[in-house]
Amino acid sequence: MHSSRIGLVLIALIAVLGTNTAFAESPSVTAVLGNSEAVVGQMVQMEIKVTGANNAGLPTEISVDGLEIHQTGTSRQFEMHNLTTSSSTVYIYTILPLKPGTFAIPPQTIRVGSSSLRTPALKLNVSDSPNRSTRSNQTAQPANTNQLAFAELIVPKKSAFVGEIVPAEIRLGFDPRAHPKLIDGPEVSGQGFTAQKLQQGGENLETINGRTYDVVTFKTAIAAARAGKFDLGPVKAKVQVVTPRAPGTRRSRSPFDLFNLDDPFSDPFFSDPFGQFGERREVEINSEPIAFEVKPLPANAPASFSGAIGNFTMTTEAKPNSVQVGDPITVTSTISGRGNFDRVNAPALEDEHGWHKYPPSSKFKQDDEVGISGTKTFEMVVSPDEKKQSIPLLAFSYFDPVKERYMTLHSDPIAITVQGGAAPGPSVAAQSASPTSATTSAVPAKPQDILYQLTERGSVQSFTPLYVRPIFWTAQLIPLLALLGLAGWKMRQARIGNREARRIAALQHEAAELMRKLRRNDVSPQEYYAEASRVVRVKAALARNADPNTIDAETAADTFGLNGDSRERLKRLFEQSDELQYSGAHNGSKRISPENRRDVLELIEDLRV
Amino acid sequence: MKGRTLLVDLCCAVIWTCVAASAFAQTDFDKANQEYAQGHFKEAIGGYETLVRSGQWSANLFYDLGNAYFRTSDFGRAILNYERALALERHHPEAAANLQIARDEARALEMQQSWPERYLQFASLNQYSIAAAIAFWVGAFCTVVLIFARRRSARLIALSLLSFSVCALAILATYEIDNGSKGRALAIITGDNVQARLATADTANSILALPQGSEIKILSTRGDWIYAALPNDLRGWIPAKSTELVRM
Repeated sequence: MHSSRIGLVLIALIAVLGTNTAFAESPSVTAVLGNSEAVVGQMVQMEIKVTGANNAGLPTEISVDGLEIHQTGTSRQFEMHNLTTSSSTVYIYTILPLKPGTFAIPPQTIRVGSSSLRTPALKLNVSDSPNRSTRSNQTAQPANTNQLAFAELIVPKKSAFVGEIVPAEIRLGFDPRAHPKLIDGPEVSGQGFTAQKLQQGGENLETINGRTYDVVTFKTAIAAARAGKFDLGPVKAKVQVVTPRAPGTRRSRSPFDLFNLDDPFSDPFFSDPFGQFGERREVEINSEPIAFEVKPLPANAPASFSGAIGNFTMTTEAKPNSVQVGDPITVTSTISGRGNFDRVNAPALEDEHGWHKYPPSSKFKQDDEVGISGTKTFEMVVSPDEKKQSIPLLAFSYFDPVKERYMTLHSDPIAITVQGGAAPGPSVAAQSASPTSATTSAVPAKPQDILYQLTERGSVQSFTPLYVRPIFWTAQLIPLLALLGLAGWKMRQARIGNREARRIAALQHEAAELMRKLRRNDVSPQEYYAEASRVVRVKAALARNADPNTIDAETAADTFGLNGDSRERLKRLFEQSDELQYSGAHNGSKRISPENRRDVLELIEDLRV
Repeated sequence: MKGRTLLVDLCCAVIWTCVAASAFAQTDFDKANQEYAQGHFKEAIGGYETLVRSGQWSANLFYDLGNAYFRTSDFGRAILNYERALALERHHPEAAANLQIARDEARALEMQQSWPERYLQFASLNQYSIAAAIAFWVGAFCTVVLIFARRRSARLIALSLLSFSVCALAILATYEIDNGSKGRALAIITGDNVQARLATADTANSILALPQGSEIKILSTRGDWIYAALPNDLRGWIPAKSTELVRM
């Protein structure tokens, strides 16, 4: 019983699965091209995928004129979604383009059981050469889809004239997964032309053949130096990229490696950069050279042709419009357009008669990165030697490479007013001439003649500036010595002043000390009178600016202008002092009376100049 | 006694040599002037050039030499010698007048002077040098007096500051004039059809055509080429043999 139940469940399950499988097996067909763009000889894969049919009848060859299409293999795939399984068979064809053009691969009828299915029509563009860059507005494409980097040179034309500036664009594409780093270049190699300095134009991501490239654009301009046929390029650059360390090991298929074409990025390193370390290496990338034809310029060049090739316009203006004969007029010519501005010279005056012209100056303002288009402005000063009605016409010639002939631009007539009849005479010279100076020239005078010869040779002079001559610096010794003398004298004066001040201070100190002693009672008469007379001498010496030892009673009395009584008292003081000092009278009274003391003190304190 | 006699003899010999040299120079000068008056300009130029080579330079000598060159239509050298006369003697009216005429004849280009140079024209380089020296010493004397004075006089301080300021200005003026467009680097184009070029090659692009007598300021020299500031605020390379410095 139990076993019969299990059997029923299994039968039901198989029935369900069988039903699902039956639904999934509804046959369908798709067809895709590995690349819709190719060049002659470049293999392209086509896959026809039949789902829900095990045995589909497909042709082993498909006949398309210009293409060789062969079946090269099959693969089978099983998929399960929500218990629903499906199987599909992929039929792989290899297409070899034999000639350029746009090919339509017609729908293929596939018989599946009793029914028949049709593949969609496919379109394949085949170009004639791998160098697709000569065509404008074309997307860059690496020659090999496995390349980590590619270089491409794009020029808008394949032929030019000698000296003609042709803009060029260099495109460098890098697979960003390789962490590329530009080391050197790019540079355009080749001979027979000059290339201007490269200017980086921009950087953007582009998807080419299903692969994303970081494309850097550089702009330049080239000019052929000689006629003939030569190759332009290749463009060369060196790039440092990161590549897997063990390229030969078995690995899983990368999502980028759709056709199992040995895509280096199918390495696990790129799916897990932190799992393994890559290897940095330098790769040189080269573009394909471009065959370039350079034609010589026609022979019938006009006289004012200076080598300018391109397409230009010219405007001219002059200032001022009203002048005197001989006055300068600035003629400004502006040449704008596109071409080799380095060979654009100033327009030439068509008729220079009666004019004096000065060499022109020029300024160039470029409007693009490489200086092909812009505006060149010339300023030329002309001066009329006679009366004129207008500025002479200016002519500028160039070669137009589109029309393939020489063109000459002429300025519009510019009216001016010129006053005065002749160039200015020698009035300035004549006025400044010295009438006293000697002989005149024997040469007959011209309208603007120089002044006479001078007969006095004059003193010998030198061009050497005074400050460089030794005499100048030697002469500086005189004020230097004078300055040193002044400084020395001032220093001596200061020192003398200091000594006198010290002497006066010492005398004042001595006088004060003596007065203090005189007010005390404990000194002997001899000592008292000696100190009293010394005080008088010091005071008189201070008043007379003299030595105290040279002061006697008369001198002191005269110094202080004493009258009779005071003079007598002062003399007595000096006499008493001398008597006590030299006559031995000190053996008498040992003390001086208060009256005498007061008398002496009063006398001394009254001594003023 | 013997020594004193020898010294006197020596002094006499030196004085006699100087006087004789001057007299001979004057004789040569007169001879060249006579050649000029007779219309023998080439011979006159030879006579004047001999005096120039002997170092007997004077403003009048260069002026007369300039006139001789003018008569031979060598306007470049005429302008050069008028410029030399004016370099030796700023106020030489004859040289200034003839220089103007020669420039008009040659259509020579002149260097533009900067505004400081124009304003500093009222005195010469040597006058500024002397002014700087005098102002310096006046300032130095005032400073010494101030250092030793018991009382600092405000007038003395002001005079000292004024003197040093005048000294500084005079030194600046000296530098500006000596290094300016009419300074010691001033040269005159003496060659024919001279082109200032972008590089030191005859085939290099031309910047400016320089008529004879045009002024340039030499900035540097490389071999047979000189790099110079040109009229119209331009710069370029010129063959060295086509130019001569004004200040010898």
